[in-house]
Amino acid sequence: MEIFSQRQKWMQKERAASDTEHSRNVDYLRDEVASRLCERVLDINRHFDHVLDLGANACNIARMMTLPSPDSPDAGPRNSRISKMTAADSSRTFLYRDADLPFNKEMDIERQVLTASETLPFDANTFDAVLSSLSLHWINDLPSVLSQINNILKPDCPFIGVMMGGDSLYELRTSLQLAEMERRGGVSTRTSPLADVRDVGGLLQRAGFNLLTVDVDDIVVDFPNMFALMRDLQAMGESNAVLTREKGPIQRDVLLAAEGIYRELHGNEDGTLPATFRLIYMIGWKPSPNQAKPLERGTGMFSIKDYLEKNGEGKDK
Amino acid sequence: MPGRTRPIEKFAAATAKCSKEGSAYGKCIVADYNNVYKDKCLTEFLKLKECYIAASKRR
Repeated sequence: MEIFSQRQKWMQKERAASDTEHSRNVDYLRDEVASRLCERVLDINRHFDHVLDLGANACNIARMMTLPSPDSPDAGPRNSRISKMTAADSSRTFLYRDADLPFNKEMDIERQVLTASETLPFDANTFDAVLSSLSLHWINDLPSVLSQINNILKPDCPFIGVMMGGDSLYELRTSLQLAEMERRGGVSTRTSPLADVRDVGGLLQRAGFNLLTVDVDDIVVDFPNMFALMRDLQAMGESNAVLTREKGPIQRDVLLAAEGIYRELHGNEDGTLPATFRLIYMIGWKPSPNQAKPLERGTGMFSIKDYLEKNGEGKDK
Repeated sequence: MPGRTRPIEKFAAATAKCSKEGSAYGKCIVADYNNVYKDKCLTEFLKLKECYIAASKRR
C-alpha cells in the first residue's frame, strides 16, 4: 500500500538541502529531538561498536552525539560510548550537507545513500543499535521496515527511534480544514496522516521486538504567523507528500482564511501562533535467549506506591 | 533569499496589515466550528480579501 510518494519526498529533501544556509537555520527541531534521543541511548549502560542511523537527514544524531550531555556537561562528548556510526538516508544532498563541518572529525561516521528507502541494504545481525530520528513518519510500509530493522540488529540489541506522530501540527491542520470547508465547501489532504501513539506498541511487537518502551513528548514552537511555520516546514523538507494530495500550491483565499482562523482559534496572547510537534519515542529490543525478561504478573514483592510515598517522591526532588 | 522578496513574505506582510478583518473572519468561523459550510462567513471574508488586496498594492 502506498500513501506517501517517495519520489516527491526525495525531491523535497534534495531541494531543501541544496539551500544549505536556510536548511541549517531550520535544524532547531531536528537537533533538539536528536539530542533527546541521544540521552535515551546513553541511558543504556553499554558500549556500542557499530550503530546505524536510519533516515539520518543531515546527520543530526551524529552531530548531537559529539556534544556533551546537558545533564552532565563535564563528562565529555556523548559519543565516547559509540565506536562507529553508519548514517543512511535516501537524499544525498541532505546526507552530505554537513560533511565538511568539524564534528565529522570527532566521530567515525560513514555515510550511505539508500537507493530504495524502504529496503535496507544491510546484512542480518550487523548492528549493536539502530537509531532513527524524525524519518519513520514518511515510511509507507512501517511493519516491513521495522521487521528489517529487527533483522539487521544483533541479538539483545536495541532499536531506539523517534517519529512525528498523532496530533502533530493539529493547529495548522484544523485551521486549513476549516478554511477549506468555508471557502471551497470541502477538505483535501494538506497535511500527512501520522501514526498514533497507541499503534506504535503494536507495530513494534508485530516486528518481533521485546521489552518495549513508548513515550510521548510535545514540543511547542511559537511562530510569528502561519506562513513562517509553512516556510520552515518546507525548508526542513517536511512538506506534504501524500500521493492523493491536490497538486499545486494551496489557494491564496484558503491561506488567507486559514491564517485568520489559526489566530482566532489557537493564537497566543502575545500575537504568536503555537505549533505542536508530538514526538513518539520508542525503544524495542531484539529478542535473545539470555535477555532479561519481565517478571510474571503478580510476582512483585514490593509496592511501588509504598516506596514512592516513603521516599517523598513527587513532592520535591 | 537575498535580493528579492519571496511571494510568501509579501503575502505574510500584507496579511499582517489586515489583522482586524482576519480576526472578524476567524471569530465568525470559530463561533460554531462544528457547523461550517461553504460561504458561511462570506461577508467577513470579502472584507478581509478587500483589505488584503489594498494592503498588497500599497508599498
